[in-house]
Amino acid sequence: MEIKIFKVGKEKPEEVEIRCHEMTEEVREIVAFVKTRQGQLTGMLEGKQFEIAVTDVAYVEAVDNKVFLYTQKQVYETRQKLYELEELLREKFFLRVSKSMLVNLMKIKSIKPALNGRMLAVLKSGEEILITRKYVGDLKKALRGERV
Amino acid sequence: MSGREFWIDFIRTYFMIVTLITLAMCIVGKAMMPEQTFGYEAFAAPLLNGLVGTIPNLVLYSKRELKVKELLVRKILQLILIEIGILCIALYGSKGSWLDPLIVGVLAGCVFAVYAAGTLISWLVDLASAKAMDHALAEFQRMNAGGDQSQLTHVPTQITFR
Repeated sequence: MEIKIFKVGKEKPEEVEIRCHEMTEEVREIVAFVKTRQGQLTGMLEGKQFEIAVTDVAYVEAVDNKVFLYTQKQVYETRQKLYELEELLREKFFLRVSKSMLVNLMKIKSIKPALNGRMLAVLKSGEEILITRKYVGDLKKALRGERV
Repeated sequence: MSGREFWIDFIRTYFMIVTLITLAMCIVGKAMMPEQTFGYEAFAAPLLNGLVGTIPNLVLYSKRELKVKELLVRKILQLILIEIGILCIALYGSKGSWLDPLIVGVLAGCVFAVYAAGTLISWLVDLASAKAMDHALAEFQRMNAGGDQSQLTHVPTQITFR
């Protein structure tokens, strides 16, 4: 795929245009990446594709090689990998809290102890998410505003 | 917990227990039996007791992250295994003769008390840490409220490709 970048004046809006023969998986990935950078995530629900605001996502979970986005009302499947989302959503207040989960720090209501140095994040929706011992330190750093 | 993390934790716990048993033997021995002398075999006691106290940690190992209730059940199992191990050492130390039930009770009670105290202290430390994180979280959310629109509701839009 050829990549062309044109500089435009400040008066014109910035845009990304993709010219493709057909809608392949690769093209979908590029679209998802661009949308994530703009604060949107692409998720699948009942065979339909949706744009979801990053701020509506409470947490992201990887289960059996599939990645799911959890909002208050729905669970969407996304084609993006957990590690990709971890990188992309770092600036959007998302943090990895276990091997298979990212949580939106703005959606946490409180934190309470679990056993063996682990913590439980109680979300505003009432759900509880386990923060494993390995990531408790990262959470403390993130809350202090330090780079993880 | 990964296998590597588990074994690092296992070895760390083992050497902590060995050090604490050696220290306890030194303090209790000097206070209660200062004239007692031992052969080289005395060096083996903390190592053996440390191993018996650490091997039950294996029941806590799991490739996937355990839920709180699952971990609690495994911790109870761990305590039971430690109790059995310590009582077996005591039985071995009595040269095969049956132990006085009172001594068995006291020994089992002591192991339980130490285990419960350790777990409680660890939980209290975690509780203090969680409270501090709660305060930091509230401050973090207050500071970043402007950059987050989580209070607004967005309607997910279906994407159609032309």
